[in-house]
Amino acid sequence: MIASVWEAIWQSFLAGSFWYPLAFVCFALGTLIPAALVALSRNILHSALWLLPCLASVAGLYLLLGAELLAAIQILVYCGGIVVLILFAVMLTHGVGDPDMRVHNQQLVWGLVAAIGLAGILLHLLGQEAWQMGPWAPSGDVTARLADALLRPYVLAFEVASVILLAAMIGAIVIARGEPEG
Amino acid sequence: MMSIAPIPIQPYLVVSVLLFAIGVLAVLTRRNAIAVLMGVELMLNAANINFVAFWRYGGGEQMEGQVFAVIVITVAAAEAAVALAIVLNVYRRFKTVNVDQINLMKG
Repeated sequence: MIASVWEAIWQSFLAGSFWYPLAFVCFALGTLIPAALVALSRNILHSALWLLPCLASVAGLYLLLGAELLAAIQILVYCGGIVVLILFAVMLTHGVGDPDMRVHNQQLVWGLVAAIGLAGILLHLLGQEAWQMGPWAPSGDVTARLADALLRPYVLAFEVASVILLAAMIGAIVIARGEPEG
Repeated sequence: MMSIAPIPIQPYLVVSVLLFAIGVLAVLTRRNAIAVLMGVELMLNAANINFVAFWRYGGGEQMEGQVFAVIVITVAAAEAAVALAIVLNVYRRFKTVNVDQINLMKG
């Protein structure tokens, strides 16, 4: 499956669209290699920092797919917000981290088996499907249409999401503050 | 404007599958609760790549794929905030964030 995908990218490269396959390969490797380092790095701080190039490359994939607003949101929310939050939590809890401590539990072998098996099954299923897709139409003003979709048919989901954010913010403050003193 | 996709959809799906598998690996094998959370974030991103890829290769007219991705990012942000607050509280109480040492309810 990976070989056939590589073949497809190479064919597209030879067919004349030069930058698109090149950028795709760069962003794909920029997503997967840092992700593997996140999962396997011995230092939890390094894991948190490797999350940054991984998520930024996912934003690059969104750009290649023509979802500019989503790429901007990805950079703002993930790289600017969630990674910083994770770094804060790592710094605040890192006191126990002596360098010899095991970073993986006893399930490392079985976890590897499960992850590789899952990837194998999914890749096998992907390879069986022809994926007849629609035309690669000119996208037009995607951002305007996304705003239209969010504020007309999906306004309920939009509002529920804002309520969830408010509840999560209050909940996080209350939980992180701990028990009041005195 | 070209009407043929520059590359087929399969490369995006393969990247998504591999990213999801790496996330599963992190969730299953890491001891640190924060690293487990990072694995969850990787899995959410893998799902988002799928949503956006199928939106684009489905013609780009229906905006459901992108709407789903926006909602997923929102919920991921809320989940990260609450989960990290819980991790801080657990650390304050147990002096560790290793998920295999927090076994107060283990029989």
